[in-house]
Amino acid sequence: MKIAVAALAAALALGGACTPEADDRAVVVWHSYAGDERAALEEVVAGWNRRVAAGDADAPGPRIALVSVPHEALSDKLTSAIPNGNGPDLFIYPGHDRIGDWVAGGLIEPVEYFVSEALADRFAYDAIAAMAYQGSLYGLPLAVKSVALYYRTDRIERPPATTDELIALGRRLTGGGRFALVYDNADLYGHAAWLHGFGGRLFDERGRVRIAGPEAVAAARFAAELGGPGGIVPPGMTGQMVSTLFNEGVAAMAISGPWLLAELDDGVPLAIAPLPVVSATGRPAAPFFGAEGVYMSSRARDKDGAFRAMAALAGDASAIARARRARQVVPNLAAYREPDIGSDPVLAAFKAQAERSVPMPATPAMRVVWTPYETALQKIIGQGADPAGALAAAEREILGYLEDP
Amino acid sequence: MSAAATPGGAARAARRSALGAYAVTAALALAIALGSFVLHRNRSYREREHARARAAAEAIARGERPAAHLVAGGLVSAAQPSARYPFLRRRLVDGRPLGGPGAPPGDKILYDAAQRAEREGAQVRFADPDGALVLAARPAEGGVAVALVEAPGGPAGLPVGLLAGLLLLGALVAAGGAAAGPAPRALGLAIGGGALAAPSALWGGPAAAALVAAVALAGAAADRLGLLARAGAELRRQRIAYGFLAPAGLAMLVLVAVPLVVGLALGFYNHRHGTWTFVGLDNFVHILSGGGRALSDPLNFYFTLGVTVLWTAANVLLHLAIGVALALVLRQSWLGGRGVYRVLFILPWAIPNYITALIWNGMFQSEYGAVNGILSALGLDRVSWFSELATAFTANVCANTWLGFPFMMVVALGVLESIPRDMHEAAEVDGASAWQRFVHITLPHLRPALAPAVALGAIWTFNMFNVIYLVSGGAPGGASDILVTEAYRWAFERGERYGLAAAYATIIFLILLVWTVLGTRVTRREAPP
Repeated sequence: MKIAVAALAAALALGGACTPEADDRAVVVWHSYAGDERAALEEVVAGWNRRVAAGDADAPGPRIALVSVPHEALSDKLTSAIPNGNGPDLFIYPGHDRIGDWVAGGLIEPVEYFVSEALADRFAYDAIAAMAYQGSLYGLPLAVKSVALYYRTDRIERPPATTDELIALGRRLTGGGRFALVYDNADLYGHAAWLHGFGGRLFDERGRVRIAGPEAVAAARFAAELGGPGGIVPPGMTGQMVSTLFNEGVAAMAISGPWLLAELDDGVPLAIAPLPVVSATGRPAAPFFGAEGVYMSSRARDKDGAFRAMAALAGDASAIARARRARQVVPNLAAYREPDIGSDPVLAAFKAQAERSVPMPATPAMRVVWTPYETALQKIIGQGADPAGALAAAEREILGYLEDP
Repeated sequence: MSAAATPGGAARAARRSALGAYAVTAALALAIALGSFVLHRNRSYREREHARARAAAEAIARGERPAAHLVAGGLVSAAQPSARYPFLRRRLVDGRPLGGPGAPPGDKILYDAAQRAEREGAQVRFADPDGALVLAARPAEGGVAVALVEAPGGPAGLPVGLLAGLLLLGALVAAGGAAAGPAPRALGLAIGGGALAAPSALWGGPAAAALVAAVALAGAAADRLGLLARAGAELRRQRIAYGFLAPAGLAMLVLVAVPLVVGLALGFYNHRHGTWTFVGLDNFVHILSGGGRALSDPLNFYFTLGVTVLWTAANVLLHLAIGVALALVLRQSWLGGRGVYRVLFILPWAIPNYITALIWNGMFQSEYGAVNGILSALGLDRVSWFSELATAFTANVCANTWLGFPFMMVVALGVLESIPRDMHEAAEVDGASAWQRFVHITLPHLRPALAPAVALGAIWTFNMFNVIYLVSGGAPGGASDILVTEAYRWAFERGERYGLAAAYATIIFLILLVWTVLGTRVTRREAPP
């Protein structure tokens, strides 16, 4: 019995010791970064902690203690740990689309009390606006993520500026086992650019799901033109195929996000450009963008201190370091005034794309939309189903989930 | 023991055993009483403190200054939104700006409370996890009246004296009754054990009192029938065995029994955006009536049930046929390298099944999948596997057959090894053909061993989440989903309908329970005498 108690005590002690640099006043930050992003964040935090220790007046503290949590586990750990008081003071989440859920669950703390206009002015408007929900601000943005157009410079000189150009160019490039374009066309995230470019939305102004309007039907018809029989996108596309086919040169263009860069071989001759303008409407194709943010737990112990740490993590110095080291598309306007960051073609392309994109809806209802919408897209693109009928069926299904018993 | 020989000793022994019975009853009654006390105390504490905070907010709204226990508070002005950012706004409290350098620590709470009350109306809640601070906010003329109030005293303490006194009184009654004879003994136990019903009625209402009384009556009845004494004697006799079982029993209770009960209970609730409402049998009615959807709709329960049953039957048949056939071949003495084959055939079983499922998913991809590659190399048409139910179902069955046959093969091999060779030899001498020997010797031996394997395999297949979720993913449009993936989708992909998902799980559980009971019957009949 004694041994068991001792073992338990040891296990608890170890569990407690998992928090690095255990320090009562340090602000604990959970994050799920890996690779360069993690290295950049650690560099930022080490710099901040050094300045705090040195008594720098611009770094009034508190110190920051980073805790790395596996990406897949982050969301579940947050929802289970924070209500029990075991969670972090701050956490970094790669998106803003869960804010609605977190607010409903009382997980996160509004921070607009701390934020002045001068601070908000440091960020791109859309990025900080994505951190707001129901008129309150819940975090500060660290990076924005959206897809853009990758093209192989050995096969294309100039990226298409309109969808008509895209299709004309695509017809020439497709054939003999090669295709012009790869993107995850059965996925709503991949399709959203066309949806918005044709003027469609997922929710109407009163927040109700409306996905079968004429704009959405036109966008789905366009996706079927790209991906259906005789199209320029290979049939049966999946997310995994994008990097493989683009890497091997089977596809000349790909629509994907910054994460694709890490999956490509070094020698692939590529450039990145914003998505083309939809010829039928004259609007740019606008993908979803997700704002990666730093959020405050509603159980944070010292909220003033936690916000100072939050502001430091989202601050300009941090953004410059993260953009330089991890090529994060940071929303801080000052970062692009640095010559090396401002002239980075990859960052410039993603930044330009982020400026013409639509924030991912943060309402809890959004989570019901994905699967039925994707089923409809598969039917429309893969089986030639009538877009209006398939989308209307998906809308009925979604409304059924939201309404019945 | 020898003391029982004298009349005084017998009375003492009776008192002692009655006290033992009383202890069991009283422990249960005490648990109920404590539970109702804690609920009652928390409720009355919440009501009292909320009322206090609400009154303070009212006073502030009237323009008075409530002095007592106010930590922070005041009339927070309506928001002045920033011209550029609709989600940023300034507020004043009693003419002073909220926040800024050197602001008092309560400012953020006032600010957020005003923001929330403007959005959602008047509210009152505990502002810290310990319940020592209460926050009330209500819209008032010129803004929002907010009061952060300190609760002067904590919740009421446990009435230890009262409980101990009642327990002692109960013990005296029980002991006294036991000394007077068997009938007063039962009466004494019932009355003594029921002593806690009085305070429970005060705290938890008639329901708690009735529960305590029922426990006391049950204790008295069990004692009268000698159940308690027998159970006690059994526990004492096997003390060491039960001691060793206790940790595992506790773990089973926490890890199996509690989730099972919670899961069953959730089926009677409906979950919407974080709130649970009791809906009785609605979830079950909704599922079993088909939810108003046509029978051909994949969301109809009976459609999914049909797919699930077909899926289970097809898989188990294939597992059994392939497993037994391979076992028969692998037993032949003319086959060289049998050990190598055995390892190769067991390999699918040894690889984590989600990896296998992902590999099969890749192989069935329409454009670059291996299966279509082979088909087109043979000059056949490519098949878009996941766009129709029949083909998606076939793909799932292929993947699961690959995963499932090694188990049946191993079971069959074990049985075949145990069939005496001389039976086959004798039959051969008698002129039986190979087929006759299989039907009359091998099969009767195989059946009793394979019956439980089939029952078990059917349960695994019925709930084979990984293959369905990862190979076809329910495509097209959820048609190839089985009950367990359907339950998952209701819980995590269709608006967190945990209640409906729990009801699905309960139905799956009941189906498998019936199947297991039937299976055990069959196995028992098949068992060799």
